[in-house]
Amino acid sequence: MPESYPREHIEDLVDDNLEWNQLHDMMSDYKDADRFQKVRDVLQERVDWDDPIIIPYAEHLYVVAKPDDRWVIKCDCGHEFCEHDENWKADALINVRDSEEEYLEIYPEDMHPHPDYMELREFFCPGCNTLLEVTNVMPGYPLIHEFEPDIETFYNEWIEEPIPTA
Amino acid sequence: MASSEDDPAERHNAEILSIDAGGTMTDTFLMDSDGEFTVGKAKTTPDDESRGFIRSSQDALEDWNLSVEEGFPDLVSTVYSGTAMLNRLVERESEVDVGILITGGMEDTLRMGRGRQSYTGYSYSDRLHVNTHKHPEPLIPRNRIRGVRERIDVKGNTLVPLYEDGVRDGVNDLLDQGVDHIVVMFLHSYKNEDHEHRTKEIAEEIIDERDADTTVMLSSEYYPTLKESERLNTVTAEAFAAEPSRDQLSNIQEAVDEQGGDVGVRVMASHGGTIDIHANELARTLISGPIGGMIGANYFGQKLDYENLVCTDIGGTSFDMGIIIDNDWQIDYSPEMARLLLSLPMVNMESVGAGTGSYVRVNPTFDKIELGPESAGDQVGVSAVETDVETVTVTDCHVAMGWINPDNFLGGDMPIDRDVAEQEIEAQVAEPLDMGVYEAAQGVIDILESKLRNDLEAVVTGEGYAPSNFKCLSYGGGGPVHTAGYTKDLGFDEVLIPEWAAAFSAFGCGAADYEYRYDQTTSIDIDPDLSMREAAETAGAELTEVWKRLEQKVVNEFENSNIGRDEIDFQYHILGQYQGQLNSIDIESPVGRADTPEKLERVLDTFEAGYRRQYSEEARSPELGHTITQASVRGVRDVVKPEIPTEQLQDTEPPEDAYKGSREAYWDGEWMETEIYDLHALQPGNELSGPAVMEGAATTYTLPPDCETRLDEHRVHHLTRTE
Repeated sequence: MPESYPREHIEDLVDDNLEWNQLHDMMSDYKDADRFQKVRDVLQERVDWDDPIIIPYAEHLYVVAKPDDRWVIKCDCGHEFCEHDENWKADALINVRDSEEEYLEIYPEDMHPHPDYMELREFFCPGCNTLLEVTNVMPGYPLIHEFEPDIETFYNEWIEEPIPTA
Repeated sequence: MASSEDDPAERHNAEILSIDAGGTMTDTFLMDSDGEFTVGKAKTTPDDESRGFIRSSQDALEDWNLSVEEGFPDLVSTVYSGTAMLNRLVERESEVDVGILITGGMEDTLRMGRGRQSYTGYSYSDRLHVNTHKHPEPLIPRNRIRGVRERIDVKGNTLVPLYEDGVRDGVNDLLDQGVDHIVVMFLHSYKNEDHEHRTKEIAEEIIDERDADTTVMLSSEYYPTLKESERLNTVTAEAFAAEPSRDQLSNIQEAVDEQGGDVGVRVMASHGGTIDIHANELARTLISGPIGGMIGANYFGQKLDYENLVCTDIGGTSFDMGIIIDNDWQIDYSPEMARLLLSLPMVNMESVGAGTGSYVRVNPTFDKIELGPESAGDQVGVSAVETDVETVTVTDCHVAMGWINPDNFLGGDMPIDRDVAEQEIEAQVAEPLDMGVYEAAQGVIDILESKLRNDLEAVVTGEGYAPSNFKCLSYGGGGPVHTAGYTKDLGFDEVLIPEWAAAFSAFGCGAADYEYRYDQTTSIDIDPDLSMREAAETAGAELTEVWKRLEQKVVNEFENSNIGRDEIDFQYHILGQYQGQLNSIDIESPVGRADTPEKLERVLDTFEAGYRRQYSEEARSPELGHTITQASVRGVRDVVKPEIPTEQLQDTEPPEDAYKGSREAYWDGEWMETEIYDLHALQPGNELSGPAVMEGAATTYTLPPDCETRLDEHRVHHLTRTE
């Protein structure tokens, strides 16, 4: 087990360019001690803005540090959603598919849920229109806040490193 | 047979040659007519395996001052096992192109595989976690698989007739792609092979018309067993991996002939026997596990009257366990190889990834010692200074504790540095855990032995057996170091350690029978309300037909080697269950025909006795009737086998020249002055009590303070505890 993988290896991991056996070895082994910081570093280099990434939050989304000690959820296009402990989905563009016709745009006939029982909600970034997430729920179901990261505990107790600041 | 004495004056008569061509090295085990043996090594030559074969044989024969030309004419038995076939499967690369015709709608069978295939062959933790599961690459790409419309149901009825035009289209398409073999696998063809046979006729007509050089292989001819995924994997493996080895095996036979050998080369097969290189079904010589030891153990048990054995084999990378009951092993009908489930009969063994070369690491999350699953294998450990191993292994711990003599590892061939072992254990294990070096080393050994003990107990009691009915046989290079530890408190009747433990697997290969075995899935019901006469006329007659058919296949295979029917000793098996059960038990039938009430009754009585033994009298349910789910026939022909030594019993006191001195060794938290003996100089009848260490050429037998050992007249140690 390497204590640390070379930077190129971690870039391949982020880009999903590893062979299965390489990926399998990484998963089966003890975790390399600096994995998080290396991944964070790769991601930071790839975005066009300078706010330091605190954690990757979801596909395309990060929690970043702002100058006034705020932590906000930000898309890789630069659009800023909300505070890190709020539900970014409330600020997203939402397309709801709740009719036969809308389902048929993306499903073959008879292969989609019944619109009375299930609707498809597609969440887009208002900045770049990237599809960020899709949920499939009953009509009327609330917007669930799925993930509120405990950043202090993660940095202070898990990896024992200072939280990045702007 | 304990060791080969190097006496040039003596002319050795090399009788048994057993060769194992591994990925990098070809190992030779050679035994003479007096039961003395020697070993040889050479690099494996994948292009033409016969060159490595000859060089490795030469290396062994040189120990006896013989050339190949001098040695080979004396040979009476030659057993070869190679890894070329298995490598084709592992690498998914073959010299031949294979096409598949399959029941329409089932074209993705190979790609979908089975759920189990997504984790089979992985370590325990990787099997537990879904993110490490992945379906293996299929052997054959999707564009070389063609569906044919037809359908036969589970009872063998034709639901959809064979669309012969579909067969023609499929065959033409595959021939256009230039395939060397066409594999045909239709659903339930083990029950009704008509569609497959007709497909073969049509395919061969087209092959003739087009003057192609393509062969057709039917799943119903090769592996007529239930479960299409395994059946397809197996017949595909036969075409893809095994057939290309035929030329290699012929080369080896030619090389033997050229050097004056007058012996047919046989190949080790997964069912525990050896088969001729001209056998129709070669895929069963694909072996992934070390079954040689099981064969050796069974032979050992038959010769010395040990009926029930638990076999344990510790090597550098794994701990392998198997059970022998009434002098027969158990068969796994769906073994895994190269991450594929196959439908082959294989000697059943359980294997765990823990051996003497297992890496020892401290889990940084839990501050806990963990072993393996990776290992240094034959690179031994950090203390083997000529290797580049960087992680501490179990062997390093033994070295530090004084159990293993650094100057005598592999008879002194492998230089070992005890200081390096201690430094590295200190740095990698002891310091992170804030322990002393020896305490840490002892901790590692304790963890390993308790793991082995748990696994061993699970294998024995998990099958419903009590250890007290078994003798535990321990072999493998690393076995005797741990035997006392991993058998502790398990309550085996006796613990046996043959002096030639390190060479036991090779000994086993030499002891393998010349044996063919064929199996067929059946669904023969014997209803409870039938009289024995009615049952014999229906079910009994059906079983007899299947046995006869399988018997004929065995006869045909032996005919390939000019061995007549009268030279073959047949054994008949069934898998049987009470009607409606899910699992069957394996029964050797006392009769080879079941078409009279008397004979059928004997088959059923044997089943009842087997069921009683495996479960209990109370669990028997003959009122449900019986179902025979599989029939098997084994045909065995006698071959020359290695001798087990028998010597005169001597005094209980070991002879003076066996005593090598004493050194301090660490036992259970204490340094104790420990007597050292030469394992091979001890005499039958000698008794020793621990702490003691017996050093052999390729293994070390350690005797902890509360243990005693006695060497019997066959040079087998009997280990007992004093309390």
